[in-house]
Amino acid sequence: MKSITLTVNGQPVSGSVEARTHLADFLRGQMGLTGTHLGCEQGVCGACTILIDGQPGRSCIALAAACDGSDIRTVEGFDDDPTMARLRKAFSERHGLQCGFCTPGMLVTARDIVNRLDTPDEARIRHALSGNICRCTGYQGIVEAISDVVAETAAEKAPCGAPIAPLGRAAPDVPPPSFEVAERKDASAGSGAASATISKPVMRVDDDGWTVLTLVMKAEQPRTKLWEVMTDIPTVARCMPGAEVTAVEGDRIQGRLTIRFGPISAGFNGTLDQQVDANARRVVLSGEGADAKSGTNVQGQLTYALRTEAEERTAVDIEVRFKLTGPLAQFGRSGLVRDFTSRLSSDFAGNLGRLLAGEDIGEAQQRQLSVLALLWGVLRDRLFRR
Amino acid sequence: MKPVDFDYSAAETVDEALTQLSGADVKVMSGGQSLGPMLNLRLVRPSALVGLAATAALRRIEDASGAVTVGAAVRHAEFEDGKVPDPAGGMMQYVARGIAHRAVRTRGTIGGSLAHADPAADWVTTLTTLDAVLTLRGAAGSRDVPMTGFMQGAFTTALRDGEIIESIRIPKRSESVRWGYYKICRKVGEFAEAIGALVVDPGQRYCRVVMGATDGAPVVLDDFSRRLAAEGAAALSGLADTVRATLPDANPVSLRQHEVALRRAIQQVYPS
Repeated sequence: MKSITLTVNGQPVSGSVEARTHLADFLRGQMGLTGTHLGCEQGVCGACTILIDGQPGRSCIALAAACDGSDIRTVEGFDDDPTMARLRKAFSERHGLQCGFCTPGMLVTARDIVNRLDTPDEARIRHALSGNICRCTGYQGIVEAISDVVAETAAEKAPCGAPIAPLGRAAPDVPPPSFEVAERKDASAGSGAASATISKPVMRVDDDGWTVLTLVMKAEQPRTKLWEVMTDIPTVARCMPGAEVTAVEGDRIQGRLTIRFGPISAGFNGTLDQQVDANARRVVLSGEGADAKSGTNVQGQLTYALRTEAEERTAVDIEVRFKLTGPLAQFGRSGLVRDFTSRLSSDFAGNLGRLLAGEDIGEAQQRQLSVLALLWGVLRDRLFRR
Repeated sequence: MKPVDFDYSAAETVDEALTQLSGADVKVMSGGQSLGPMLNLRLVRPSALVGLAATAALRRIEDASGAVTVGAAVRHAEFEDGKVPDPAGGMMQYVARGIAHRAVRTRGTIGGSLAHADPAADWVTTLTTLDAVLTLRGAAGSRDVPMTGFMQGAFTTALRDGEIIESIRIPKRSESVRWGYYKICRKVGEFAEAIGALVVDPGQRYCRVVMGATDGAPVVLDDFSRRLAAEGAAALSGLADTVRATLPDANPVSLRQHEVALRRAIQQVYPS
């Protein structure tokens, strides 16, 4: 538990909260200030908007512990606020509410619009109000109420600093003069000058849900030498970012692939079966794994075949196939997965190239992705792109 | 809709933050505007959070001769409200005004947005266009990483375990700088479907056109930028081909959105 001290609606308040308690729960549950409404609890709907240190903020995604020392104002705390008095009257007169659920957040945002923006027109008001969702009014009454108060206060308002320019950006009349771009030193050229080149991966999704990625790596090495390296699974695993071989028994390999995507991480534990076709110089690694946290299974197959291109040059055809099963299967099609898998494959090929060139690849930096993150990617699209 | 149980402590100094970060499953939280929803949805289940929003050293704003340097915990609203010196013809202030909603901008921070590295967010594209350099700080010391090398893919950055973004250095452009920025969103305040951004500075012979909100990191269109600086609006005729070549896997809708976003951004600089 964390001890916090806040000023709430002008009164000093102390309390004890769990670190995970968000500010709205603290205000509603411990302070009894139920005027702050919780709609989505994901920072989307705006119902929980209150003033934190004088600025509107979402109380459902602000941790109470992170607001220690802050000055909080909720909808209950505006009795003496002249702008809010006008807004209350205007909302009533213009039918700016029906069920009232969004109203506490609407009022706090409306007050910010009136006080902060310099005589906003209807378009500007609608723009600034776009983070507060109302399912009853169609916004018309709310916008009219705010417009009324903007008009009432315009005359008496002291200029509020630099006027805020209108939205949008007009083109100038005259384009810039023509010029030649200065040469730049490219800082991005990393170490490990490749003794291997890698084609851009091509990706497709089969009808039966397998995502298939193909790429070609070319190494300046004779085929026999490359074959030696590529049939040594612990060595190959070292080139795979985030992969770890825990045991090898015959053709069966136990391992773990740790994947991270932003702040989320997951570990797939599983087994791989190795099939080596020495005549065709082809290795197929297939297996499956599960991420305990999300309860998701992934089946995957990595195939690589070596072809002699010239005496000292070998092409490696690489194919990565994977399939997510369960409710998250649809994410295999997501562009985010494609981008991630592409990078993972390129990293693998790049590390292999460096290894073949006799360079130390050290501990391959984990390329990490989790199905949870894919879930986030899709949820984010659904939540924020409605 | 409630997060898992975790510990929280606000770091007063960067060193304190780095020490706390060495624990297992400890995450950084700055403004919490992306992490907050992910915590509530239990997509992120940390053992502890280190709060950086009030860390004084990360709230610094420095106006030097060649660049403006801002701490990672400077909020979007501070750019919007003109509290950060302008390095490039008002571009950052304009972009800040279009990030999500005011109630998000008052808490969300520039460093948090960069570290989160959502491809559809505004700062990753804008700061790539402005050629910003990040100072990352870890237990082993600090290092500078240019924006072009920082974001490696969706939600993936050059940040190593235990490292945080300390500050962002944005080079100052000359008086002759022009810029354009256009994003396509289904609704105001949403994440973008496509972003077109460019900075053209004849005084510094700098021109960079960037395609943002792709499936991965923002893409700098180097060849196209050179052509645009030399040929002006005439270069637009090659835009569609450039977009198609850059995003070979994109579907037709996405290709069109990226082309339109870029065209509209470019037309803010080169009227046609």
